[in-house]
Amino acid sequence: MFAPVSRWLPLALVVLAAVALRTHDLARRPMHADEANQAMKTGELLEHGRYAFDPRDHHGPTLYYAALPVAWVRGETSLATLTETTVRLVPALAGVLGVVLLYALALPLGHWLAVAAAAFMAVAPASVYYSRYFIQEALLVSFTLALLLAARRWWITGRLGWALAAGSALGLMQSTKASAPLFALVAVGALLVVAPPRCAARRPARDIFLGIAAALFVAAVFYSSFGTHFAGLRDAVMTYGFASARAVDGSGHEKPWWYFFSLFGWLKNGGLVWQQVGFSLLAVAGLVAAFFPANKLLRGVAVYTTLIAIALALTPYKTPWHVVHLVPGFALLAAGGLALIPSRPLAFVAAAVVIALQLSQTRLSSFLRPADARNPYAYVHSVPDVLKVRGLAEAALARVPGGFIRVISEEYWPLPWYLRAFPRVGYWTEAPANCDGALVIASATQAEAVRARLQGNYRESYLGLRPGFLCVVFTPAVP
Amino acid sequence: MFTPMIRSRLALPLALLALAGAVHAQVPLQLDLPKPLFAGTPRPISLPNLEKPRVGKRPDLVVPTGTVNLSKGMPVTSSDSLPVIGELTFITDGDKSGTDGTYVELGPTPQWVQIDLGAKAKVAAVVVWHFHSQARVYHDVVVQVSDDKDFKTGVTTVFNCDDDDSSKLGKGKDLAYIENFEGKLIEAKGATGRYVRLSSNGNTSDELNHYCEVEVHGALVK
Repeated sequence: MFAPVSRWLPLALVVLAAVALRTHDLARRPMHADEANQAMKTGELLEHGRYAFDPRDHHGPTLYYAALPVAWVRGETSLATLTETTVRLVPALAGVLGVVLLYALALPLGHWLAVAAAAFMAVAPASVYYSRYFIQEALLVSFTLALLLAARRWWITGRLGWALAAGSALGLMQSTKASAPLFALVAVGALLVVAPPRCAARRPARDIFLGIAAALFVAAVFYSSFGTHFAGLRDAVMTYGFASARAVDGSGHEKPWWYFFSLFGWLKNGGLVWQQVGFSLLAVAGLVAAFFPANKLLRGVAVYTTLIAIALALTPYKTPWHVVHLVPGFALLAAGGLALIPSRPLAFVAAAVVIALQLSQTRLSSFLRPADARNPYAYVHSVPDVLKVRGLAEAALARVPGGFIRVISEEYWPLPWYLRAFPRVGYWTEAPANCDGALVIASATQAEAVRARLQGNYRESYLGLRPGFLCVVFTPAVP
Repeated sequence: MFTPMIRSRLALPLALLALAGAVHAQVPLQLDLPKPLFAGTPRPISLPNLEKPRVGKRPDLVVPTGTVNLSKGMPVTSSDSLPVIGELTFITDGDKSGTDGTYVELGPTPQWVQIDLGAKAKVAAVVVWHFHSQARVYHDVVVQVSDDKDFKTGVTTVFNCDDDDSSKLGKGKDLAYIENFEGKLIEAKGATGRYVRLSSNGNTSDELNHYCEVEVHGALVK
């Protein structure tokens, strides 16, 4: 009676922790420009059923479609009623799924080490932060883990169902982000390192063919917007041209090759310390354990993680959310590092210390300073001032019912998200001839031009959009 | 030139005149400014009429002779008594460079810091450096002088840009301003009190409240 409890309770606690860390107070952090942009597309899909894949500036469709059932369950049926919590629940649930999948993937190490690996990923600062962030990364990580798990099961059991599951996971990866082939190819390479020499499948060529067919089918369903936009199939191929160009030229996101490694080290920025030294040391120990003595699973993980790290390091285009692709590998290796500790109680203590350190960093990055410019995961983030915009608009329209809201700024995201419920909102990158309105938000560079064209008296105040980017808010002065 | 009798008769009026002159003598307030901290090329920001863009040197503020920095090294208290970053003593330690390790960071929501000048003083000017390594505006900045350490009675507000009274300290008509290395020079017009309290309510970059340095210039009341 007690054996199942002592076996499954730790895993249940890890999953509960993963859920709590990923879903608590999801609406508190202001929407990043990328999140707002994608949430607006989701709102369009939710309200009008319209979605067309944009190969130039956007990633794949799974994120938007996955948000629909969450919105329906929460009773949200339009852009105006869609909430931050709803859209962020999608990566949050994907992040929890990733923790469970990592446990299953780590089982060859033994139950308690698999639980430790899952726990390391459950509390990892980057994994938690980007599981609370309405972008594709958490989904891509989980689909990649699903591919690895299903492909390994197929190789060992030879069952067609696992081949189809692996193919479906591959299709979902492809439907999530253009970088999917990189992770898929590296995953296959790592599996070949881990797998037994002989595949258990009786007809492996057929299974592989059907698996690829499943992948193509899943991708086709998503990119064609469930059969309503077949140009999306062409665009799904074209997107590689744009994505490659972006990855090579950096598009203003160039960083040094060691950038992602620095996130696992020790950073001090503006008095705040960001560190994952304990976690990284355990992972390095796991790297040793992968080869001395030889451990097939850890060796495969080492190959996978090293290849991904090299690819990310060599790509000029670097944004911090890419670091989540290194976390599962680090978590597995760190669990392997625990195996090197000869005493089980001592290994428990080491795991507990690392988890506690990681939790303190997660608390800082995801809950205390989630939008702080010093937070290495808060990349060109919107400032908390943007949370005032909805209230400003409501107050302005209470004074001038039916009035117009104008946003005149060369950069204005995430404001469209915060103004989504208001019917008369316009956006300009330069001051139009008529600037008057119930509420006029102008960037500091446009403010002089706007002021010159305003008729009547306006009250002015400042509003931040991003660190160092200021806007001036004009509202008609009350006589 | 004057006979001793005339000299003795003129002595008293001359002395009184000299004393009055000493009392009303005005000199420019001398400020020791830190180096600008905008690293690289900041985003172009033109100052709107909230505070007119200034070309050239900031005009001198004329203050009575004998005005000194009364706040240097004086004790500071705050609504956030345990700041996560920095110490409250940083506010009056004379280091206004603005680099890491020279400012104190107070939590979100409206927060205040209060400087005890040690005795009642006639305050000519307050200069505040919140944070000047980035273009940002602190919301609802209010500066008050009082003899009451709880600021319940005898409060003189010398600056208030909280135009919607969100800090519940009264509506202000002063203009919001963008932080820079010169600090915000506030004319206190001889407000008297032992304590100077500065409030703010986050800024345009985050919800937090920062202080590199505060200088209170004036003279102790004898």
